[in-house]
Amino acid sequence: MIIRPNRVKERLRQGRHALCFAAWGYSGADHLERLAPANPDGVWLEGEHGDVSFSDLANLTRAIDLIGATPIIRVHQNEAGVIYRCLDLGAMGVVVPHVNSRDEAEAVVQAGKFWPIGKRGSYTSRQGIGVPDYHNLANDQTTLIVLIEDVIGVENLDQILDVEHVDVFFVAPGDLAQTMGLPGMAGDPRVQKVVDETLARIVKRGRTAGVLVTEASAAHLYDLGVRFFMSGPAEWIAAGFKQLDQAAAGGGA
Amino acid sequence: MRQLRPNRAKQRLAAGQHVIAIEGLNHPDAIERLAPLEPQAFWLEGEHWIATPTNIGDLTRACDVSGSTSIVRVGRADKQLIYHALDLGGQGIAVPHVSTAEDAARVVDAAKFAPIGHRGIYISRQGIDVPDYFRRANDETLVVVFIEDAEALDNLDAILEVDHIDVFFVGPGDLSQAVGHVGEFTHPAVSKVVDDTIRHIIDRGRTAGTVGFQDNMAHVAEVGAKFFLCGAMSWILQGFNDLRGTLEGIEGEAAGGR
Repeated sequence: MIIRPNRVKERLRQGRHALCFAAWGYSGADHLERLAPANPDGVWLEGEHGDVSFSDLANLTRAIDLIGATPIIRVHQNEAGVIYRCLDLGAMGVVVPHVNSRDEAEAVVQAGKFWPIGKRGSYTSRQGIGVPDYHNLANDQTTLIVLIEDVIGVENLDQILDVEHVDVFFVAPGDLAQTMGLPGMAGDPRVQKVVDETLARIVKRGRTAGVLVTEASAAHLYDLGVRFFMSGPAEWIAAGFKQLDQAAAGGGA
Repeated sequence: MRQLRPNRAKQRLAAGQHVIAIEGLNHPDAIERLAPLEPQAFWLEGEHWIATPTNIGDLTRACDVSGSTSIVRVGRADKQLIYHALDLGGQGIAVPHVSTAEDAARVVDAAKFAPIGHRGIYISRQGIDVPDYFRRANDETLVVVFIEDAEALDNLDAILEVDHIDVFFVGPGDLSQAVGHVGEFTHPAVSKVVDDTIRHIIDRGRTAGTVGFQDNMAHVAEVGAKFFLCGAMSWILQGFNDLRGTLEGIEGEAAGGR
């Protein structure tokens, strides 16, 4: 068997955008498999804030494999054992929150890559079953994403951007807002200004920038040079429900 | 001591209002996160999908904390299947392939306590700490039967005689097989039989339901259906596809400009 290609990584290498479905409140293999018609490049599983745990990961990533998307999980801490256990269970990408220094970014790489790049614990992942040269190929098919989401992370950005083998530097406004003293105000213009400036700095250094996207922000973010995008279903469900609810109410007595 | 949780879907239907039961989100966290939309009801699918006795407690609790009515579709008109789903927390039961008056009567017999029926005696999750549960449960239990076979159409008048059924649901999927257009849910011959059946139900003073989606909702509401099964997955796919289209448009323009 050959190793399953990492579609998100491939598209980013080609200079194309990658669009991931954020499975917030939506985990469940039987739900995720039904995303097939949307053909997402990746599925973002939520293990920092959401319910996804080690015991779910193999079943969830199998469903994502079957629809041809790249399974990515956000973990809850920058801890080597947590990061590579997720990769062992079938994730092909890991998102690590609150990466605030060069050392912290390097720790992600050390945990997420086998020798000669890092020190990921040696084990045949679900993604390596029947793949004869898995340990040599895995590094190329693993996406590492770090979250820049604290004022200190923005301050240390130049050093963080020196770290090789990080695929995406993802800027998250929610936590950034609170470290700027504006809790719950991710949409505030002061926060958005820092987000935009940070994305532009990442792109200028030749690295890949990522951020949450909506219909309204897509053109602006693409123009900034962002190529890794993630978006979740809450607004889509709300729009669909409201439309049908109004149509049903129009039925008369 | 507590009061029995009201059945919002039943209340709305009694007031002449429509009910949308959201289908396709059989995950407790997904259900709870929709609370701001104040969904009227959630559809927990056990005929074709993943709702089973092991997750109905968790699923219906998520509906309860959001104030939405939980409706479980079971696999068949089987007495124990029906009241087990209610015991585990369902506020409503939906039963497929009800094709005779006897089928319909069996559903009522399973879903209602005496004096109406013979639902097995057990304190449901909905009855915890409710002192008058056995006397109040019948009033707060929604009963939906599916009219979805040629035989059911033949027997419709007799089925509509059966009391204590809240919704007669006209299923276009199985009816498409019955009229020789399998899978063509919007084929004119299928739409006609769905519309005619809805009208027949309403003419007899009963409540009709059917599947509602973007292209047919205004029509079936106009025909007179009041209860709608609506798939959240179609909304999610639409949202994702729109966003993808936007990004590809931008990307195409950028490539063309180089």
